Amino acid sequence: MKITWFLRAACAVAIAATGISAAAQEKTGNKPGFTLAPGTARIVLMRPTIWVGEQSTAGMPEPNADWTTQARENIARALADAQTGLGNVVISYDEDASGEGALVAEYSHLFGAVAESVIEYQFFSGNRLPTKKRKDSFDWGVGNGIAGLKSLEGGDYALFINVHDEYGSTGRKILQIVSMFAPGAGVSSGVHKGHAGLVDLKTGELVWLNADWEMGGDVRTAEGAAKRVRQLLEGFPGRPAEAPAEGE
Amino acid sequence: MTRLLIGLSMGLAAMSPAAANSLVSAGPRPNIAGSSFSAAPVDEWNRLSRKDGKNVEIWTRDGDQLNKVTFFGGIPSGKPLVREIDKKRQPLPKVAADMLITDIPVMLESTYRIQYAVSQMDIDSQEPATLGGHKAIRFTYRFAREDDGVRRKGEAIGAFVGGKLYLVTYEAPALYFFDKDVEKYRKLAATLAL
Repeated sequence: MKITWFLRAACAVAIAATGISAAAQEKTGNKPGFTLAPGTARIVLMRPTIWVGEQSTAGMPEPNADWTTQARENIARALADAQTGLGNVVISYDEDASGEGALVAEYSHLFGAVAESVIEYQFFSGNRLPTKKRKDSFDWGVGNGIAGLKSLEGGDYALFINVHDEYGSTGRKILQIVSMFAPGAGVSSGVHKGHAGLVDLKTGELVWLNADWEMGGDVRTAEGAAKRVRQLLEGFPGRPAEAPAEGE
Repeated sequence: MTRLLIGLSMGLAAMSPAAANSLVSAGPRPNIAGSSFSAAPVDEWNRLSRKDGKNVEIWTRDGDQLNKVTFFGGIPSGKPLVREIDKKRQPLPKVAADMLITDIPVMLESTYRIQYAVSQMDIDSQEPATLGGHKAIRFTYRFAREDDGVRRKGEAIGAFVGGKLYLVTYEAPALYFFDKDVEKYRKLAATLAL
């Protein structure tokens, strides 16, 4: 029943209808001047937020607990595999005795809202907010309150990851086909969103974001989740250059 | 089939060309939300091209998920606050001629629970106020939507003038964003006129 997600997706379609092609949409952004050399930082990998379900005929998301569990396990494994190749020390978040688990989870949700805003109002260049556009910058963040969290002490950056997938129902797929015969009324089937972002733990600023509303890889399978994680971490700062995997 | 048609019609509706978001500069701003609402912001805002209803206008600093001022400019009797997504299955409460200002928070809460899948919402405070010289209610609230899990706080002022509902709300995530921009909203709200 996530109507707002639907409205945002509809908005994106409308934006596309104005002539901005999907190819024109940016998928990565970083704070101007931000660089990260290999071996210079300690990155805390936050617990990913993962939601997987079905998209109804009308475009409403309906959760699927089994798929979500599968995706959690698959993404966790893929991240564990990728963790050592990111060029810097990456440690998994540990609440320990801080009692900050709920607050940190709230930061993960807030990061998701920030990432969605970056996609909608920065990556879609035709939809930029005039105040942001004029600055010609990448001015986003979760606030410097994150610097005070004990459970993140010793970390330089937090790596947040969100995955949200809705697989098109049969009805939705039929609607997609029917819409092909209505000029100008393209209806998509399925939503496959992902965000990966680095937040500076001293300032709360978002210094790098890779995010998209059309990600690949079926997160319900181990292979698909590995592909998704590779996409999420594409262009990760400080990561040694590597040859692209076959078939991608 | 009905759901199919609903989906198709919503898809078609979404295809109408979108205008760009526009800058709201400091200074007098008449006819907000196509109504007699006016304000004189001292800070810059962005006016979203997106319309959630005929007499609804949204201003934001960083995007409506992060800070959002919504003007409901003279919603007449028999109309909901925002455009209904599914009139049959999810009808929204309508403005009624016999409503009192104390009904405004309840109407907002009911609308949010139905339209935005809000699972938790609490009205924290209510107090008498004036809006453009008219008797009004100022209230604060908290809510969380199911879709993004973010706890948000809100502050609003509303009144009935000539049988129509005039309401302005400010909402932002409780973590960081609400406090970051609430004073800008309050300065804006202090200049509201009808």
